[in-house]
Amino acid sequence: MQDLLYFFQQLINGLTIGSTYALIAIGYTMVYGIIGMINFAHGEIYMIGAYTALIAITGLATLGIAWLPLILIVALLCAVIVSSSMGWAVERVAYRPVRGRHRLIPLISAIGMSIFLQNYVHLAQGSRNIGFPALMEGSFRFGSAEGFQLSLSYMQITIFITTLVCMTILSLFISRSRIGRACRAVSQDLGMANLLGIDTNRIISATFVIGAALAAVAGLLLGMYYGSVDPLFGFIAGLKAFTAAVLGGIGSIPGAMLGGLILGVAESMTSGYLSGEYKDVVSFSLLILILLFKPTGLLGKPEVEKI
Amino acid sequence: MNTSVKKLVTAVSASVALMAAGQAAAEIKIGIAGPMTGPVAQYGDMQFSGSRMAIERINAAGGVMGEELVAVEVDDVCDPKQAVTVANRLVNEGVQYVVGHLCSSSTQPASDIYEDEGILMITPASTSPEITQRGYELVFRTIGLDSMQGPVAGNYIAAQKPERVAVVHDKQQYGEGIATAVRDTLKDGGIEIAMFEGITAGDKDFSSLVTKIKQADVDYVYYGGYHPELGLILRQARQADVDAKFMGPEGVGNKDINTIAGDAAEGLLVTLPPAFDQKEENQELVAAFAEKGEDPSGPFVLPSYTAVQLIAEGIEMADSKDPFEVASALRSGTFETPIGTVQYDKAGDLKAFEFVVYEWHADGSKTPAN
Repeated sequence: MQDLLYFFQQLINGLTIGSTYALIAIGYTMVYGIIGMINFAHGEIYMIGAYTALIAITGLATLGIAWLPLILIVALLCAVIVSSSMGWAVERVAYRPVRGRHRLIPLISAIGMSIFLQNYVHLAQGSRNIGFPALMEGSFRFGSAEGFQLSLSYMQITIFITTLVCMTILSLFISRSRIGRACRAVSQDLGMANLLGIDTNRIISATFVIGAALAAVAGLLLGMYYGSVDPLFGFIAGLKAFTAAVLGGIGSIPGAMLGGLILGVAESMTSGYLSGEYKDVVSFSLLILILLFKPTGLLGKPEVEKI
Repeated sequence: MNTSVKKLVTAVSASVALMAAGQAAAEIKIGIAGPMTGPVAQYGDMQFSGSRMAIERINAAGGVMGEELVAVEVDDVCDPKQAVTVANRLVNEGVQYVVGHLCSSSTQPASDIYEDEGILMITPASTSPEITQRGYELVFRTIGLDSMQGPVAGNYIAAQKPERVAVVHDKQQYGEGIATAVRDTLKDGGIEIAMFEGITAGDKDFSSLVTKIKQADVDYVYYGGYHPELGLILRQARQADVDAKFMGPEGVGNKDINTIAGDAAEGLLVTLPPAFDQKEENQELVAAFAEKGEDPSGPFVLPSYTAVQLIAEGIEMADSKDPFEVASALRSGTFETPIGTVQYDKAGDLKAFEFVVYEWHADGSKTPAN
């Protein structure tokens, strides 16, 4: 009985972390799907989202506001607005001028942007870990066996629900809205979409903004869940999310979701049953294995040679 | 007029030094290498604050052999690659004495360069035993070793008669070294080690580890590493209702753990060098720090101060600026310093250095643990 509870606890841990990987992975996958480049600065956008949320929360606290829903809404809005503008600006400054050149050029530009943003936050906010105040404490308890209790914290539930809501909205947006349809058109054939009167520049900007907004949501959630942020926060998370995107099939939005969850669960099961030391070994071996047998990732479509 | 006379005097003494050390210098450069930025920058602050104070006070008292000490400060970010870069920079600057580095993993590669280039290095903070085990002539420290700190922690835990203990580390030279020492001490004491495993430094998610600790039902968790990770582990453990007591080495004992862990830091056990700033004979020095608005209570402030002082006293004792002669002076002499009486063994380790167990509190203060 205890073993079963332990398994479910690790599953919950894995799904929580996995859903935030998925939120970040969306940004990678959408950008790749549309312009075929990997936006390495995306992890930094997520980190900036977390910092902005923290600044907003601290600001509200100094004003003496303690009503939790208001704090969360304001922090979320600030994070989304700042990150989205950042995502837009990054595309405008670093990617658009080099779009259409050799594919390595935007890649290097993205890596440069990532280093720039990281160091910018280093200088502006200091390099120390900054603690998030504990806003949402407590958890639901289920079943108990030999002193071990399954716990599902309010924070974890919030992460699940928020991720689910964001994913649903995004899917509806892509499949139903005008911009969504334009996005799909641009991802199928950028040149053709342009000829048919779609403002592709605007659509590409929109993609960056949407990805950045989701990353900001993840930044707020994870900052609160873990309780601290530092300027390197985005780098590792970005790497994991990128892995999740590739695992699920880069360019595919459901793939990013699936990849994130698989990666999160694989990590938590490895540290739960083997050892934390093997966490990254196992998850990256899994990635290589999947890519060996299915080079396009789990839900990726095979690339059709365009003639 | 006055300055030109001074310049003449320094020029003369410099040309004497030129013959002795084979290098022209009107001043004695002391390299201070530690993290100014990065996740453990607060320890770097302690190192820089202590070294600067020592340099100021020694210069105010007339310098060393009539020459001024000049600090050359470099940032190694506690990153081994960066440490090698800044070590080479110090070589190029013509520095002959270095106070640093801080993180053991940085000190080790940097010390290879210093030894090759004939630079004397005193680390005020690196506790990994390997650093002084390579037969180097110019490597010293003003801090104890993991092999001294580990047993203190292990014996403390063993004395509480726990049933099971978990030992976790960050897979880095410092953290894993000390965690291994603690595990071995506990094993010798007949305590069951329920788990011994590493985490990745820089990770944020420790929910799986915490669940594992909870299931293992341990009484004590020893963590070898630094505060950013332990702070998160404490916080996440508190949320998951883990009731084990946590303990860590001096790398976790600073106020930043409170910003990360919040209330969960209450009751954390930490092995630290004794509070040098509480010693009676240091009160005048403590007052000097207070005057500058700096806090000398950090574990590495006074060891850094001592490192500079030892370099100065070593030069005077050897009556030479040659690092090799200074090194043999340090090995033969007995020095009265803010961290107590200093004597070196052949390897460059302190003959005696004490670690004390403290209990950490939610407000960032500490009290001796009983």
